[in-house]
Amino acid sequence: MRPDSNLEALMARYQQGDFAAATDLIERVSPQLNRFFVAQSVSRGDADDLLQETWLRIHKVRHTYRPGEPALPWFYAIARHIRVDHHRKSVRIAVGERKLDAMSQDVITAPAESGNADGLEALLAPLPASQREVIEMLKVAGMSLDEVARATSSTVGSVKQKVHRAYKKLRKTMSAGRFRKGQSGEIS
Amino acid sequence: MKDEDIDDVLNEVACAPHDLKPELLQHIADSIKPSLRPARLLPPTWVMTGSLVLACATVSLAGAARAGFFGFAKMDLLDRSLIFPALVVLACVTGSAFVHEMIPGSLRRVSPGALLGFGNAALLGLFALLFRDFRTDHFFSIGIVCLVTGFVHAIPAALLAWLLLRRGFAVNSVSAGLVAGTLGGLAGVGMLELHCPNFQTAHVLVWHAAVVPLSGAAGALVAWTLRFLPGSGAQGRTNPG
Repeated sequence: MRPDSNLEALMARYQQGDFAAATDLIERVSPQLNRFFVAQSVSRGDADDLLQETWLRIHKVRHTYRPGEPALPWFYAIARHIRVDHHRKSVRIAVGERKLDAMSQDVITAPAESGNADGLEALLAPLPASQREVIEMLKVAGMSLDEVARATSSTVGSVKQKVHRAYKKLRKTMSAGRFRKGQSGEIS
Repeated sequence: MKDEDIDDVLNEVACAPHDLKPELLQHIADSIKPSLRPARLLPPTWVMTGSLVLACATVSLAGAARAGFFGFAKMDLLDRSLIFPALVVLACVTGSAFVHEMIPGSLRRVSPGALLGFGNAALLGLFALLFRDFRTDHFFSIGIVCLVTGFVHAIPAALLAWLLLRRGFAVNSVSAGLVAGTLGGLAGVGMLELHCPNFQTAHVLVWHAAVVPLSGAAGALVAWTLRFLPGSGAQGRTNPG
């Protein structure tokens, strides 16, 4: 499920200035990062912007990757940082707008109204952000517990606990019939 | 509904084809091409940790050299052989944690908060074991001076640590600030142990040990405040070349 067997080798070549390796990395990692952003209730347009911003940041701090270490947690740690920054900015903008206009809408809830919700976002919507990101990394991106712990700057025990709580909540939600599998993998 | 059913649903989502536009990926590749040069990699973790410990030791020794080694002279061999190695070990653990905070995707064995708590508990335990003078003469007047002296020495140590790791990238700047402050606090305590000849239990337990949490909190607060300044933060200071 995870085509990242030689991401580490590509990353090492990218650090040496190999453009072909950089392009290959962008093509292979971007879909996963984009899905990560979408799973965090970010609108499609914002997810594309965040993806570009993430790659610019990755490029800027590429020297911090240690050859031989797992590359995927490194990518996800930076993407997560970008997402958190984006969330903070959104909150600040929302607070500013509320001060100007009491009738303005909260921008954090905007994605749900944008009509861009896909199966993953709908499925993970009942979960808090910290559980959503862990489930996305572990079950959708196919990372190991150790890698998720690295990407989220937490411990393996903490990741296990979040997964357990998320599954408990998902079981409850899915049993209640809020989600059912469609014919093309779409969740409705 | 079983866990396997949830796994099946998530697997279906994971296998669904992505709809990223090739033009977007090409645009990203084109945007990094002009500045694509070989990057100068970070030194090994042990080198960075060693540098941090050395920086802290330098600040402690320089401070004590300026103020006088009165505490060190008054200590017996047991005190010296327990307190200073313990401080070095704590500085090594905290330095290593700081290095990990500055490198994305590093495995975290202990959270910065737990590290601060553990460091403080270890110091309190050690001080309570070694210092058995239960008088409290001039508790506040002398104590405040020690706290300020320790904190004043924690600031340059924390700044030096941040400077040494400026090429890193703190994914969580508040955690990194907390660890840098804790490291600086240990340098401050080291200076106090070398300098302060007041071995009253209450004085050491309260005013000397308080330097570590105070510095840790100050580091976290500074990092949190810097988040709100445009163009600030670790990402603004990184340089791959």
